[in-house]
Amino acid sequence: MTIAVPEHHELRRAALTAAALVACAGVCVTVVSVLSSNRSHTSLPPPARSALAFAHPTPLASGARSPARWAPVRAAATARRAPHPGALPVARIGTRTPESTRNIVQVLGRTRRRAGRLWVRVRLAIVPNGATAWIPRRALGGYVFVRTRLIVDRRHLQAVLFHGRHVVFRARVGIGKPAWPTPRGVFYVRNRLTRYRSPAYGPIAFGTSARSAMLTDWPAGGYVGIHGTDHPELLPGRVSHGCIRMANRDILRLGRLMPVGTPLTVR
Amino acid sequence: MADRTSRPCASPLVPGGPTLDQIDPSGAMCEAVDRIERTTRVGLLKRAGAGATVLFGAWRTPAAAAATTQNQDRAILNYALLLEYLQASFYTEAERMRALKGALARQAHVVGAHERSHVRSLRAVLGRAAIARPRFDYRGVTEDASAFRDTAVAFEDLAVAAYKAQAPRVQSKSLLAALLAIHSVEARHAAWIRYLAGRLPAPDAFDDPMPRRRVEAIVDDTGFIVAPASTSGKRSPRFTG
Repeated sequence: MTIAVPEHHELRRAALTAAALVACAGVCVTVVSVLSSNRSHTSLPPPARSALAFAHPTPLASGARSPARWAPVRAAATARRAPHPGALPVARIGTRTPESTRNIVQVLGRTRRRAGRLWVRVRLAIVPNGATAWIPRRALGGYVFVRTRLIVDRRHLQAVLFHGRHVVFRARVGIGKPAWPTPRGVFYVRNRLTRYRSPAYGPIAFGTSARSAMLTDWPAGGYVGIHGTDHPELLPGRVSHGCIRMANRDILRLGRLMPVGTPLTVR
Repeated sequence: MADRTSRPCASPLVPGGPTLDQIDPSGAMCEAVDRIERTTRVGLLKRAGAGATVLFGAWRTPAAAAATTQNQDRAILNYALLLEYLQASFYTEAERMRALKGALARQAHVVGAHERSHVRSLRAVLGRAAIARPRFDYRGVTEDASAFRDTAVAFEDLAVAAYKAQAPRVQSKSLLAALLAIHSVEARHAAWIRYLAGRLPAPDAFDDPMPRRRVEAIVDDTGFIVAPASTSGKRSPRFTG
């Protein structure tokens, strides 16, 4: 009888070993099937190619000259000496120019009052030339940025247009006679007129914020323009009532290069 | 341009509210929306009129169907381009105004470059079919940090939801891949600005797409798309001469 006990244990051990082997085989089969199923994922098609050639993100140039900005006058407003509704009025700013285009102002700065209302400092098209004043931001429309600036040299009778730091246009010009000089200072281009019937002004005329100090009784107030001419033989020279004249081919070229709002320096 | 009164832009966005024509005088939004409307209607006809096609014989050739698909994809890309214009100009102006500081300025700097890149890429693929950049009036929100932050959150959430609504409708796989590449970046922008605004970057487990009408209503609320100022004229100059 004592011999039968070890036989029973051996049987149990053999049964356990067999069960363990079966379990191992099951695990192996599962692992192999998982691996083989993973391998089948590699047969998925590659990702679709994008139709866009992605442009590299380019940050705004830092340290470069900031572009000038202008804004249309959306609602007539009183320009004041300080950013405060009670400050001394400087001028009433309308929404239209004498040529019936939208009036614009060059924007120079801004400040926020304690009440939260935003005011902007603007350059005005009034006499005295170069005047600046404050108007509520809400009177203006959206800002437009320009990278061009026009320099008119009265001594050398020359106009030079910059785009950023690059000279993109240069032309000889006519300026005001000594009795009606072209005003010196910093201004901006207010509008652009074409297809009118005045050959004396050439094919394109730009209106500026500059005003003649002598011809204030001129129709529409004596604004200085930049335009072509029907007397190119007089150029360059001191020949005008204050306007900046150039040959028609030059004003046509300038018309393609100079947007409205461009700052103008007459020196 | 077609008579605008006959277009969906002439109907109010909400009952009694303004029309898209009123808030988008430049017509840019309307143009993009109109193209989608037109091609969507064609798409509906395509599905509903499958039987009619058989009846009417060669009413739609395979070439015509391909052209319709291409037109719808182009319209969706133009719609995406409009949203990218809106965002790119916003960040560019904010950066130029120099009213932002610290983390917010950094966000505007990086995201602005991304949005301008999206604009360039979409314009490149659309070529001459690309809509023109509208004029924007951000009404001072680019000049104040708090207003900028709130607007940026709205813009980024809007872009994510708008892309999500349009992506499944894109037929071309390569265009879909491109839109998804932009969409996920917009989602990152949204999370970033939400974090800066003290809001949960990912408030929900699932995002909803935003239908076109809803996008219109949000754009309506902003009033940011405006008509260009008419600074050119034909009157005889009265300059000093």
